[in-house]
Amino acid sequence: MRLTIKITLAILLGVVLIFSVYSYLSIQREREQLKRNLSREARHIGESLRVMVTELWQQHGEDEALGFLLRANQGYSETLVRWIWVSDNVPSSYQPRVPLAHLDRLHFEETVTLMAASDEGHDFLLTYLPVFIPGNRLGAIELTESMEEMHEYIQESLRRSAIVIGALVVSGLLLMTVLGSIWVGRPMRKLRAQAERIGTGDFTTSVNLSGSDELSELSSTIERMRGQLAEARDAEQVAQAAKFEALEKLRHTERLATLGQLSAGMAHELGTPLNVIAGRAKLIIREGMMAEDISRSAIIIHEQAQRMTGIMRQLLSFARRGEARKQRIDLNLVMRAVLPLLEPTLNKQQIELSVEDASQEFLVCADSAQLQQVLLNLILNGIHAMPDGGRIIVSSFPVTDVDIPDAVEDPDQSWACLQVSDQGSGIEPEVQKLMFDPFFTTKDVGEGTGLGLSIAYGIIQEHGGWIAVDSVPGKGSSFRAYLPVDCRKEET
Amino acid sequence: MEAFSLDLTPRVLIAEDDKELRELLALVLENEGYQVCQCSDGEQLLARLTEQHNFNLVISDVRMPGLSGLEVLSRRRGQMQQIPFICMTAFGDTQTHHRARHLGAAATIDKPFDLDEMMELVAHVCLRNERN
Repeated sequence: MRLTIKITLAILLGVVLIFSVYSYLSIQREREQLKRNLSREARHIGESLRVMVTELWQQHGEDEALGFLLRANQGYSETLVRWIWVSDNVPSSYQPRVPLAHLDRLHFEETVTLMAASDEGHDFLLTYLPVFIPGNRLGAIELTESMEEMHEYIQESLRRSAIVIGALVVSGLLLMTVLGSIWVGRPMRKLRAQAERIGTGDFTTSVNLSGSDELSELSSTIERMRGQLAEARDAEQVAQAAKFEALEKLRHTERLATLGQLSAGMAHELGTPLNVIAGRAKLIIREGMMAEDISRSAIIIHEQAQRMTGIMRQLLSFARRGEARKQRIDLNLVMRAVLPLLEPTLNKQQIELSVEDASQEFLVCADSAQLQQVLLNLILNGIHAMPDGGRIIVSSFPVTDVDIPDAVEDPDQSWACLQVSDQGSGIEPEVQKLMFDPFFTTKDVGEGTGLGLSIAYGIIQEHGGWIAVDSVPGKGSSFRAYLPVDCRKEET
Repeated sequence: MEAFSLDLTPRVLIAEDDKELRELLALVLENEGYQVCQCSDGEQLLARLTEQHNFNLVISDVRMPGLSGLEVLSRRRGQMQQIPFICMTAFGDTQTHHRARHLGAAATIDKPFDLDEMMELVAHVCLRNERN
């Protein structure tokens, strides 16, 4: 229920209660007053009649006196006058309308006034005036007045009170609804809309209520809050952008560091074709070569140049810094793409790398270059764990049953796992706790940046996934990167 | 007086996994008058050296599938007959240079190398070995 209606109803209830009590008391008082007036009137009539009746009784006897009363009765339209005998065993026409027990006080020469109701439910005011008849008999003049008129008057009063109360309630409600809407409803709607706008992050609209009431104060408070929130958000956006930029730089640096690690192997990979090219060119330069041999050398030179181009392209595509672009990519292709980059290093370290392809195209939602970096970092980590050579297995598979960490934002979806297992030295439990921290490294100074795993974790986290590790010291470690299969978030 | 036919042309064994480079070296060495044998990995190299003792020179790549050039060199270390080794390695890999020298390689040459430079080195090593 609206606040204004509540307040209005409460006030009206109070007013109606007070007015009702006041009306009730007024009507009661009027009723008493009317009764007293009627009673006094009856007494006056009765007393006049009593003087006459007593006089007539003494001078002309009973019949003349009672006959006078009958005639007097016809003279009053609203009052019925009768003679009664205050004793038992009298004819019914002289019996009082009420039982004799109520008329005891007549014996003490007192006038008795009574209220009585007829069988039909009409009220009457009965007044009895005692008349002592010689011979020690007690009679009385009975005056009966109908209360009907008084009832009508009271009914009218009640009706008027009810009309006033009704009008009060209706006009009060109307007035408060209109004024409540103008003074409270409208500004409240404005403030609510503003609060909702701020809630959804829209800080552009300004709302200022004129006046100096509580709502205007609230509006200026909200206005101040809007300003502060907008400032805070701007500051946060700047900080976020700076953080993002720093993270990008860090990742790029790490990518270059990875490239540095790979480059020793790549130099050899480039050196051999370069050697062939230079040698073949020299053969051609020397005179006396058969035309057939020259053309053969040229073909070889061409092939070797292409081979080098391929290697350069792979290196550059890895080193290039690009916008992260998530799309549906095949994990098999990612695994295949890192192989040529690693091959020289693997040969040098006597490590066999086997890639277990998923049986068919295995799509996940990811940025291909970033995922390559993750895979390279995990494999290089495995290579470092096996200084005496060994085997690294890279595989990908769909995940059906896995414990999803609490931090994962969107747990209800399908997951793919990219696994890198080595037969290296394994990782001690205390190192496992720290290994994803930036700059944590177990390698000697100059050998590792300590950023590889932390950046790999960051990338996977940004993809909505996480990295889990299983490791048995002395036997080897398995790194599993979990990735969401669907691109729902990116597409919407 | 019986005439002996002396075979004085030096015999060179080349071990290199890259076919093109191997063939190029063989071609150039043959043009220079050497007898050339080829193998494509460390295990073949070790087998040839065990079978045949009359090589005057081995030119071996360091990084090869199976056994590396340096491993072959270290296994040959205890042998009575020392055949000079020329190791080919990637440019700037100083660590390999040190290890090769330590294992008794006659010379180490960075890839990519100039063919003339290589021929000079081969001639130099062969001559030095003959004198010894």
